[in-house]
Amino acid sequence: MDCLTIPATGRTPGVSFDFANGHLRMTGESYPDDVAAFFGPVFEALRSFLDDPDGGPIRFDMELLYFNSSSAKALMNIFQMLETVAKGGRSVTLTWCVEENDESMRELGEDFAEDLRHVVFQMREMPAGGPP
Amino acid sequence: MSFNLFAAEEEALAKARALETRLGALAPDCLPEFRDLIAAFELSTREQQRLVRVSDRLQAQLSDAIHELDRQRSEAEAALDHLREAQEAMVQSEKLASLGALVAGVAHEINTPVGIAVSCASHLADATQAMRRRADGGTLGKAEFARYLATAVDTTDLILGNCERASQLIAGFKQVAVDRASAVRRTVNLAAYIQDTLVSLQPKFRPSGHAVAVYCPPDLELDSYPGVLSQILSNLVMNALTHAFVDGQAGGMAITVDCPDADTVRMCFADNGRGMSEEHSARVFEPFFTTRRGRGGSGLGLHIVHNLVVGVLMGSITVLSAPDLGTSFTLQFPRRTPDRDLPVEAVTM
Repeated sequence: MDCLTIPATGRTPGVSFDFANGHLRMTGESYPDDVAAFFGPVFEALRSFLDDPDGGPIRFDMELLYFNSSSAKALMNIFQMLETVAKGGRSVTLTWCVEENDESMRELGEDFAEDLRHVVFQMREMPAGGPP
Repeated sequence: MSFNLFAAEEEALAKARALETRLGALAPDCLPEFRDLIAAFELSTREQQRLVRVSDRLQAQLSDAIHELDRQRSEAEAALDHLREAQEAMVQSEKLASLGALVAGVAHEINTPVGIAVSCASHLADATQAMRRRADGGTLGKAEFARYLATAVDTTDLILGNCERASQLIAGFKQVAVDRASAVRRTVNLAAYIQDTLVSLQPKFRPSGHAVAVYCPPDLELDSYPGVLSQILSNLVMNALTHAFVDGQAGGMAITVDCPDADTVRMCFADNGRGMSEEHSARVFEPFFTTRRGRGGSGLGLHIVHNLVVGVLMGSITVLSAPDLGTSFTLQFPRRTPDRDLPVEAVTM
C-alpha cells in the first residue's frame, strides 16, 4: 500500500499517509463515535508500513486542532510506534502543529514529547482559523 | 504534606525498584525483563497523567463554550426585550397618531356646519341692524319689512339646521372618541356606528372623490367594544386610501355586513383598487411589514387591526387580494363578545 487517505468529517480527522515518501499527516478534529472503527485501519496500515525493514525517513505532521481523550491515547500509541522504529535507527521527525495563541495545545505537545528520546520533535505554529 | 494525585502509582514504582534490587541478587537472569515491566508501568503512568490533562483541557473548553453560549443567550434575550419595548412604543405611538387623525377629522367636519351657521347669523345681524336704523328713522316700508322677514326665516332655518347637524356630529364623535379612549363595552347599533365612524374619516377620502358604500342590516345590535370596531374601520379605510388607489383615481370601498348565524357577525371591507401580490397579502398582518417604509408607512395599521379582531373581538380576519382585482378583508366575530378579563392596554386605543 502506497497511500492511506481518509477525508476529514465533522468528527473524524483527515488522514493522509503518503507511505512512498514517508510523509504522514493528520488534520482536522478527532472525536469519533467509534474509536476502534476509525483508528483500527489507521493502525493496521501504519504497523505494516513501520514493519518494513528497508523503510526510509519518516515525517509525521500532527495538525489536529481538537481531539478527545480516546484520540489522545491513540496518538500516544502512534508516537510510541514511531519511537520504537526511531530507536531502531530509522530517522523520524514529528511536527506538532499548534494554532497561534493556543497555549494549552502547545503545552500538550510538550507533554506528549516527554517520552520521545529518538524521534526528533518540533513545534510549528499555524495561523489561527484552520490549517492552510 | 502536598497532595499527589498519582501517589499510589509512585508508591508501586518505589516497591518495584526495591524488588529490582532483591531480584538482582536472587535471580539476575530475570532482571532485564523485570526492568522492561517497570519501564512499561512508568510509561503507562505518564500516559495516564497526560490523559488526565487532556481531559481537563477538554472540560475547560466545554465550560468556556457553555459560558459563551450563556452570554450570547442573555445578549439575545436582552435584544429581544429591547425589540419588544420598541415595538410596544411604536404601537402606542400609532394608536396616538390614529387618535390625532380622528380629532383632525372631527375638527374638519364640524367646521362646515359651524361656518355656515356663523355666516348666516352674521347676515341676519346685518339685516337686523339695517331694519333698526330704518325703524328708528321712521322710514321702514311694508315691502322692506316683508323681505326682512323672509331673510330672517331663511337664515334662522339654516342656522338651526346646521347647528343641529354640528350637534349630531359632536354627539357621534364624542361617542366614538369616548369609546376609543375608554374601551367601554356597550350595546351599539352597528349601522349607525359605522356611519359615525365614517363621518370622522370624510375629510380623508372626500377630496380625492373616494366613496364608501355601507350595506348593513339597520337593526343589527352588537354587545361589544364599539371603540375597537371604530379603530378597526378607520385603519382599514386608511389602509385602502394609502395603498389601494392610484393617485387621481376615484376609488370605491364597500362595507358589507351580514350574519351567517344569529350569534355571528361577518363584516367585509372591500376596495376596487389595485390589489396586491400573493407574497404581500400573505404578510399583510405582520408587524412592521410595509411597502411604504420611509414614506409614512409604519407597517402597524393592519397588524393592529388583526390584534384587535383576534384579541378583543375574539374573531378572525382574512384577506383576499390579487393584482388589479382589489382587496377585501373579511372579519368574523361574535355578536356578543364573550366575557373575559381584558388587559386594559389591549383595548385602550
